[in-house]
Amino acid sequence: MTDSQLLILLSTLSTGLILGAIFALVAAGVTIVYGCVWLPNASNGQFFLLAALVAWTFTASLGWSSWLAAIAVLVLGVGLSYFLEWILIRRLYDTPNRNVAYFVVTLGMTQIMTGIFSMTYAKWSDQFSLPPVVEGISMIGPFPIPNNRLFVMAVSLLVLVALFALLRYHPYGRALRAVFQNREAAALRGVNVRSIYRLSFVLGSTIIFLGGILFALAYSFDLTVAWTMSITAFAIMIIGGPGSVMGALVVGMTFGFTQAIVSIFASPTAATFSYLGAMLVILLFRPNGLFKR
Amino acid sequence: MKLLDVDGLSKSFGGVAALRHVQGHSVLGETLGMIGPNGSGKTTFVNIVSGHVRPDAGTLTFGGIDISGKTPHELASIGLCRTYQSVRVFASLSTKQNIDYARLLLNHRGLNQAELSELLEWLQLDTLLDKSAGSLTLFEQRRLELLMRLVLKPQLIMLDEPVGGLAVTEVIEMINLLKQLKARCSIFVIEHTMRVIKELADRVIVLIAGEKVADGPPLEILQNKRVVDEYLGAPHA
Amino acid sequence: MKSHSKHLVWALTLLALTLPFAASGNKFFAFVLGMTFISLLWATGMNLMYGYVGLMPLMFAGVAGVAGYAMVHFTRTLGWSFWLAMPVASLLAAVVGVALGLPSLRLKGFYFTLCSLVIQTVLTLAFIFFPTYTNGDTGINQVAPPDWFGGELKGMGLDMSVAIFAVAGVLFCAWLVKTPLGQRFVAIREDDVLAEGLGIQVVRCKIIAFFIVSVYAGIGGCFYAVYVGFISPRAFDVLVSMNIWLYVAFGGRATIAGPIIGTAILAPIPFLLQDLQAFKDILSGVLIIVVTLLMPGGIYGAYLAWRSSQSRADSSSNSDKVQEQRV
Repeated sequence: MTDSQLLILLSTLSTGLILGAIFALVAAGVTIVYGCVWLPNASNGQFFLLAALVAWTFTASLGWSSWLAAIAVLVLGVGLSYFLEWILIRRLYDTPNRNVAYFVVTLGMTQIMTGIFSMTYAKWSDQFSLPPVVEGISMIGPFPIPNNRLFVMAVSLLVLVALFALLRYHPYGRALRAVFQNREAAALRGVNVRSIYRLSFVLGSTIIFLGGILFALAYSFDLTVAWTMSITAFAIMIIGGPGSVMGALVVGMTFGFTQAIVSIFASPTAATFSYLGAMLVILLFRPNGLFKR
Repeated sequence: MKLLDVDGLSKSFGGVAALRHVQGHSVLGETLGMIGPNGSGKTTFVNIVSGHVRPDAGTLTFGGIDISGKTPHELASIGLCRTYQSVRVFASLSTKQNIDYARLLLNHRGLNQAELSELLEWLQLDTLLDKSAGSLTLFEQRRLELLMRLVLKPQLIMLDEPVGGLAVTEVIEMINLLKQLKARCSIFVIEHTMRVIKELADRVIVLIAGEKVADGPPLEILQNKRVVDEYLGAPHA
Repeated sequence: MKSHSKHLVWALTLLALTLPFAASGNKFFAFVLGMTFISLLWATGMNLMYGYVGLMPLMFAGVAGVAGYAMVHFTRTLGWSFWLAMPVASLLAAVVGVALGLPSLRLKGFYFTLCSLVIQTVLTLAFIFFPTYTNGDTGINQVAPPDWFGGELKGMGLDMSVAIFAVAGVLFCAWLVKTPLGQRFVAIREDDVLAEGLGIQVVRCKIIAFFIVSVYAGIGGCFYAVYVGFISPRAFDVLVSMNIWLYVAFGGRATIAGPIIGTAILAPIPFLLQDLQAFKDILSGVLIIVVTLLMPGGIYGAYLAWRSSQSRADSSSNSDKVQEQRV
C-alpha cells in the first residue's frame, strides 16, 4: 500500500472513530431518554450545539482554557437539565401517549433555540472553534493527527464504555433498564419511577452536551450542525432500536464510518440523505429497530 | 349449519408455539365456550379468528367463507365481530355517538328506530345516551359494547372475558343478559373460569398450552380427568 | 345544524367576502389579509387530518410545495392558464401525498409524526438539491399572477379569489365532518382498532383523508405562489408545517371555528414583526409548548369546556361534553 493510500485509510479511520463515537454518544443520550421516559427529544441537536456554543463563549470571550470551559458547560448542562425537567418534562409523566406530546414540545424547544441562536451567535460569527486541550501533533506512520483529536477520541470511547458499564452493572443502571422494560413492574419492585425518569433525562441530556463539547474540540462548526445532528441521532435511534443503547452504539459507529467514507467522494448532504432513507426503511418495515432494548 | 370452522390452526411467536393444530367449530344457534389458563393460547385464537393476527397454518372459515387473512372490518361486514378483554368504547364521545358510529357499517340497512329503542331498553342504556362513554361504569360500558355489536346485525359475537372486572352481583346480571342474548345471536364466549361458561355454553373447547384438550358439553368437561388434573383442580362447584 | 349556527355561518361568510373590499385601500393590510386566507385554507386541511383523523402530517408544507412548483412549471414552461395548472398541480400533489402517506398508514402516534417529519425533510432537500424544476435554494421569483380573461388577476380581484377559496374550503370541511365519512374519521381518531372491529375500513378512510388534505395543501400552495410571487424551499419547509399545525392547535382542533380563530390571531403576526424573524421562531416555539402542555383543546376548546361546565354547574355528574385527553 502506498503512503498516500495509507494516509487516506488512517485519516478515514480516525474521522470514522471520532464521529462514530460522538454519534454513538448523542444517540445513546437520546435513546436513554426515549426508552425510559418515552421522550423523543427532537431538540437534541440544539442541545448539542448549545453546549458547543457556550463552550466557545467561555473560551473566546472570557479567555478560559478549553478544560475549564468544558467542565463549566457540563455543570451548567446538568443544572439546565434539572431545570427543564422540573418546569416542563415532569408535567406529562402520567399522560398516555405522551411520546407525541413530548415530540411536539421538543419541536417547540427546537424553534425557540434556533431563534435564540440566530439572534445571537449567528450575528457574531459564521464558524466557531475551540482552542485545543492538548497541543501538538503525533505521527501514526505517515499520518499526522493532532493530539487534541486523539484526546477527543480517547475521551469519547472511554465515556461510551463507562456508560455501558453503568447501565449493565451499576444499581442505577439496572433500575433504569427495569423501568425501560416495564414501568409498573419496576414500581412494584420498589423503584422510584419518577426519580429514575428525572435522572435519565439529566443523564441523557448531559451526554448530549458532552457530545457537543467533544465535537467542538475536534472540529470547527457552524450553526447547521444542530439540524444535522438531530436527524442523525434520530436515525441512529430508530435504526438501532428505540431504547437500545447497544443499538445506538453499533449504529452510531457505523454512521460515523459511513460519513467518513462518503465524505471522500461526495458532500456530507449525501450522507444525510442516506440516513433519512435508512430511517424511513426501518420505520416502515421494522419499526422496532435492529436491536432489542 | 356450521358458523365458525377451524382446522389445523397453528401460530408461533418467535419460536414459541402459541397454538398447535387447533381444530373446532361452532354451529348456528349454539353457544360455544372456550376456556384455558392464561398462556393457553385463547387470546391468540381469538385474535386470529377476529383478523388481528395471521395464522401460520390452518384453515379458517365462517359460514363456509374462507376468512383467513380477512381484516376485522371485512369480518364485521360478513357478520363476525368481537368484544375485548379490556372494554373498548369511544370514551370521550357520548353513548349516543358511540352507537351512531357502530351503525355506520350498515347505515340504512341496519336497525330501525323501534328495534334500536327496544335494545336500548333491554340493555338499560336508554337513560345514558347523553353521558360520555368514559364516564359510564364498567358494567354500563360492557352493555354498551354489546349494543354496539348487536347494531352490526352479526351472525356471531365473540365475547372475550365478558365479565372481567365486574362485581359479583354484576356478574350474575351479566350472565342473565348473555342468556337472553343467546336468543338474538349466536355467541362464542371465551373465559378462564368455568363459572360463566357452565351457565351459558352448550359446548366447551378446552385449550391447554396451545392444544385442544377437550371438546364437549360443560358437564362432560367437568368430569374430564385430564382437564381437571391439568387445569380445574378440585371438583368445581 | 341549529338555526343560530347557520346564521352565524352566513354572517361569517359574508364578512369574509367583504374583507377584501375593506382592505383594498391599504396594500399592506390587503397582503396580510390574503396571506391569512391562504393560511386558513391550509389550516382547515391540517385540521381535517390532525383534528378529525388524529394524525399529525408534518409533511403538509412539502406537499403544498410540490403543487406550487408544479403549477409554476405548468404555467411557465407549458404555458397553461393558472386555472388549469392549479387543479392539475393540486391533484398531482394529492397523488404524491397519498403515495408518501401510504407506507406510513400502519404507523401510529409518534412514529407517524416522525415519519411525516422525515418525508418533509426529504421533500425540502429534494426542492433544494434538484434544481431543474425548482431552481434550488435561490427559488423562483416573478411568478406571474393568474390570467383572467386576457388580463391579469391582481389586487382586489386576487384577494377576492383567495377569500372565496378559503371560505369554500371551510364550508366544505364543515359539511364533510358531518357526513358518514367524517364520522368514520372521528371513530378512527378515537380508537382505530375498535373502529375497524365495527366494520370501518380504516385504511381506505385514511387514504381518502390523505387525498383530501393534500388537495387543501396543494391549492394553498398554488395560491401562495401567485400571491407572493416568489417561492423557495424555505416557503414549504418543516417550520411552515409546524406553524400551520400551531394555527389549528392554538385555535382549537377538531372544531370548525378553531382554525379560523387560530389563523386569524397567529397568521398576521409574522408580518407585524417583519424584522424580527428570530423572534417569530421563539414565539412559535413558546406557543407550541404552551398549547401542548396547558391548552390541548386550544382557545375554542377551552371556551367549549367552560361553556359546558357553566350549564352543568348544578349537575352532580361529570360534564358529558367532549374533553380531549390525548394530544
